[in-house]
Amino acid sequence: MPFTRRHLFATLASGAIASQLARAADDTVAIPGKRPMILHNDRPEDLETPVRYFDSWLTPIEVFFVRQHLPRPAAIDPETYRLTINGMVSKPLQLSLDDLKKLPQFTVPATIECTGNGRGFYSPKVPGIQWMRGAIGNAEWRGPRVSDVLKSAGVNSSAAFIETDGADVGLASTPDFVRSLPMNKAMHPATILALSMNGQTPDIHGFPVRLIVPGWDGTSSVKWVIRISATAQASTGFFMNPGYRYPKYALPPGTPAKPAELETIEGMPVKSCITAPEDQQKIAPEPATIRGFAWAGENAIERVEVSTDGGSRWRDAQLSPKKLPFAWRLWSFEWTPADRGYYTLMSRATDTAGRVQPIVSPWNPSGYLWNAIDRVGVTVEKSA
Amino acid sequence: MRTAILIGGAALLALVTLAADEATVERGRKEAGLACTPCHSLRLVQSQRLSRAAWNKELDKMAGWGTKMTDRDALLEYLVANFGDDKPPAPPAISKDGVTKRKQP
Repeated sequence: MPFTRRHLFATLASGAIASQLARAADDTVAIPGKRPMILHNDRPEDLETPVRYFDSWLTPIEVFFVRQHLPRPAAIDPETYRLTINGMVSKPLQLSLDDLKKLPQFTVPATIECTGNGRGFYSPKVPGIQWMRGAIGNAEWRGPRVSDVLKSAGVNSSAAFIETDGADVGLASTPDFVRSLPMNKAMHPATILALSMNGQTPDIHGFPVRLIVPGWDGTSSVKWVIRISATAQASTGFFMNPGYRYPKYALPPGTPAKPAELETIEGMPVKSCITAPEDQQKIAPEPATIRGFAWAGENAIERVEVSTDGGSRWRDAQLSPKKLPFAWRLWSFEWTPADRGYYTLMSRATDTAGRVQPIVSPWNPSGYLWNAIDRVGVTVEKSA
Repeated sequence: MRTAILIGGAALLALVTLAADEATVERGRKEAGLACTPCHSLRLVQSQRLSRAAWNKELDKMAGWGTKMTDRDALLEYLVANFGDDKPPAPPAISKDGVTKRKQP
């Protein structure tokens, strides 16, 4: 190839752009213990999992998403840690980590999803972190049941809620992160105080002690738990009201909600996402595996269907074997594109209660609970 | 001739107004650095695309949470000018690998 001045300039220009990009990459931060993550915020950490990591039933901690409302508290010393159990109990307790380890231990596989996962898909745009597909992960949580802890404190039978406080505190007058949970869910055998996650105790995910509320929105699973109070009423703090509420009556997109018509979010909806191929990827005209995850809050996944023609024809995907409430199922679908060109791939999940993903996820002012049928576009072309 | 002067005057006025807007936006940029960063990094702001009304509401929320703003109007202009809902979505930022230890030079 003859070398011309134009080539020289082009080479110099691309070199300049490359070095600029390299500088931009160097300007981003590394989060200790985390692989490259979609960085919505580094202080406090709001990290989304790139979909390429969703290829195992248990999501490795090094790629597990992170949502912090408030700055992470100083690392908690396991020796001096105490959990206060008070409120409507006959025997208030101060439990050490050893006390919690002496109670019967249970392993609960559960998917945790940020209430706002998928917010970035809503139109018109709403305030909040613009999560796409990756504010979700599946882990094995292990620890004592909340019910056992409450029973040992002699919880009053007329207590209707537990109020859980984490060690994180707000800066300036940012409200403290306190959440309430109805007593019947608190007493559920799968609701635990996790002392580990996939066998580890990562500080960034709320250890040494994290409340796990399987099937409910991620914000219910309070990190760095230091106090549980049995109460008659739900907490009225910001993170219960107006935070994490959803309109009782569906709203025209872009219109405000009436505060009195907002309800606390509880169980999560049925949902599936496509994790491979990625949106707008180019692929070769040969057999390909379409894959993803599906979960349904407190239910299990019954079925996932895939369309490779924009929703005209649907066929069943293969599901991973464990059919459990609270935990996702991975799915895959073998696909041989008929020809070159652009394809719209879609996935649609159905749960054991018969709930089916909708075509349109209802718009709401905080952008919660996105669960529309997922779609990605791919171009099949030679020498991809 | 009079028309030309009028047009010239209008153009000059428009330029002055534009310059004033740019100055306001620049003041707002500095204000964001002072007012927002005590509690969170600016990525939280820069990754969003909101209408003027929605940004205004966010500033009210943050003021209620103790944010000290000395130039709220300029801050709002900066947010609308750079992160308005008419702007294309922010390209995703990717963090560096925090697991693999770097080779020591």
